[in-house]
Amino acid sequence: MISIDRLSKSFETARGTSHRALNSISLDVADGEFVSVLGPSGCGKSTLLYIVGGFVGPSEGAVRVKGAAVTGPGPDRGPVFQEFALFPWKTVLGNVMYGLIEQGVAKAAAEKRALSLIELVHLKGYENFYPKELSGGMKQRVAIARTLAYGPSILLMDEPFGALDAHTRTGMQHELLEIWERDRKTVLFVTHSVEEAVFLSDRVVVLTRSPGQIKDILRIDLPRPRRRAELLVDRRYQQYVVDIEKLMDNPAS
Amino acid sequence: MKNLSAIPGLPPLLATVGLLAAWEIAARVIDISGLPPAHEALRELPKILTDKESLLNILDSIRRMVIGFALALAFAIPVGLMMGRSRFVAAFFNPLLMIIYPVPKAALMPIIMLWLGVGDASKTLVIFLGVSLPVIYHSYQGARAVEEKMLWSAAAMGMGARARLLRIVLPAALPEIVVGIRTGLVLALITMVTSEMIARKQGVGDILFNALAMAQYETVYATIVIIGMLGFIIDVGFERLRAHMVAWAEPAHEIAVGST
Amino acid sequence: MTSARRFSEIAVGILPIALVLALWQGIVASGIAPPVLLPAPGAVFARLIEQVGNRQFLENAAITLYRLFAGFSIAVVLGVTLGVAATGSKTIEGIVKPLVRVLAPLPKVALYPAMILILGFDDASKIALVAADAVFPILLATWQGTGAVEPKLVWSARAAGTSQRAALFKIVLMAALPSVLTGCRIGLIISCIVVFLAEMITSTDGLGYLMVRAARNFETVDMFVPLISISILGLTLNAAFNALRAWLLRGFPEER
Repeated sequence: MISIDRLSKSFETARGTSHRALNSISLDVADGEFVSVLGPSGCGKSTLLYIVGGFVGPSEGAVRVKGAAVTGPGPDRGPVFQEFALFPWKTVLGNVMYGLIEQGVAKAAAEKRALSLIELVHLKGYENFYPKELSGGMKQRVAIARTLAYGPSILLMDEPFGALDAHTRTGMQHELLEIWERDRKTVLFVTHSVEEAVFLSDRVVVLTRSPGQIKDILRIDLPRPRRRAELLVDRRYQQYVVDIEKLMDNPAS
Repeated sequence: MKNLSAIPGLPPLLATVGLLAAWEIAARVIDISGLPPAHEALRELPKILTDKESLLNILDSIRRMVIGFALALAFAIPVGLMMGRSRFVAAFFNPLLMIIYPVPKAALMPIIMLWLGVGDASKTLVIFLGVSLPVIYHSYQGARAVEEKMLWSAAAMGMGARARLLRIVLPAALPEIVVGIRTGLVLALITMVTSEMIARKQGVGDILFNALAMAQYETVYATIVIIGMLGFIIDVGFERLRAHMVAWAEPAHEIAVGST
Repeated sequence: MTSARRFSEIAVGILPIALVLALWQGIVASGIAPPVLLPAPGAVFARLIEQVGNRQFLENAAITLYRLFAGFSIAVVLGVTLGVAATGSKTIEGIVKPLVRVLAPLPKVALYPAMILILGFDDASKIALVAADAVFPILLATWQGTGAVEPKLVWSARAAGTSQRAALFKIVLMAALPSVLTGCRIGLIISCIVVFLAEMITSTDGLGYLMVRAARNFETVDMFVPLISISILGLTLNAAFNALRAWLLRGFPEER
């Protein structure tokens, strides 16, 4: 589904020097796989996501999605950001409908689909609320619904639960898996929480500190559907977390 | 393009040249006597600046502007500072200021001329009023924002109220005051030109409309350029001064947009 | 907000006006100024109320309003478009930025004679002057506001299928609406002021002209009426615009 081939990215700093954020990343993500990208702060994991999304261009290497090169953003790769990035001048309904309207869907049909998505993310009754009136968790659900609305085959999630409190966060992880189980989209999920990565993913990619390179990729062999209460006492889950945390303790390449 | 805009002073220079070029071309395309080509107007420039009567007129205008500006600062900064530190003083002046604020000061010219005649006094007064308002406002805001603790320390060290005002409040409020002065400067020029257009008799505004009436179109445009240059010189001069005075504070607004 | 708080807020707003009126009346009553130079507030307001029913006065006020709104509208369209374009295109920014820098120190009113020469003595030159003065705060506010919009908003829209160019107006401009509307409000005030001044300088109608005509005829009371009218107009438009702005921005989080 996603083919990342020797991807590198350098940025010009304010001082005029060049800062290498990503160094020769090669990764293949299969259709329907849930892959997390883990790493210390500043290791370039978000940059990797943005390049796959087409929001930022690579310096070297290429990203291909379904065989075609990525040249810019598109409705096949839907982002969900940590800051929610909801449109403040639109209601919840307006936000969720946005992608549908942009895709040319007629207003009545778009509204119907949006309403069902809003119900899916447990926000029924909040259709006419403005984002400023919602809590963090609710905003993120709107953001997810908005992205799901235009039916991307790939979800690009950039620390989507990073701004939420611990309890909301675990609730959202559960909800995300519920939604994902329905049609098994391909997910690229950036996080710096080891537990979150292990809980959610099929595979975990661990990056080194800047310039980010792949340190290791672990296959998470745990059965689905995953229940937090069960996994927390599961030895294999605990071993994965311990192993990855050891890898993270030594973030050099 | 990136490297060109990095050279200081070059983009505005290019913009000026561009504007003059656009003017020249427009004048040839829109062939009316009301829009003489740029080069003809620019040719008039030295003639105006060397003509004794015109030069005196311009200098008179500048003199009135400077006096009005200086008087305004001498009045407005202390008033603003005191308003910032004393709720009573603030309560006293605020209503007056709130009423005067929406009134265009140059529009007061006819009324003021009724009281003070058509000479220097009325024009200087209007400039004084125009400059005072933003300076009072910013001095007020600046003084209000001075940290109480600084003043307590000073009082504990034995500084009297007047000394505290001069040696603590004034320097601390200075960056904000400078913003007010900047706005006041812009308004001084605008009010000067506008008041002279409303009350003719002398000055730059008068030169403009005289030339207009006598169909000396090149002179009209040349005078506009002179006013523009005046504004530019004031602008640049002030920025240099500001850099000296408040080098320790962050730069405030880059372009002040004045209103009348 | 409780009605008691509401009432005290309005009272605080009216108090300065009441104080100034009292001061005015005091000066007149004390006899410091002869009534020909400073008429009593009562006389002025009586005349004002009388004029509001006067057809000629209203026609003049209408002309002023027309020029004001025409110039303001041009300034809004021009200022917002250029401001958005300057954010969206480095080339346009490279042209607009130095142009603004060069034109900013020139009092636009100095261009008024040139506008008269090109556009004539009638409405067009006044509308042009209003537009020239009002466009700057609108342009700057739009430019600054759009430049500060979070890129992730644009990214979200682009992933949904919006083109870069469409996103400039659909997303960036909308997200910058608070700044843009603040700039427009300042532009509106400036429009009020400039139209009045232009009518004072050269005109055969309008509120500014009425003031100058009264001055020529030494009719002091009639001088105050247009002045107070334009001030009231300015304050009313300001309040109305603030209400409009608050409604347009109802989804946006409150500013400090």
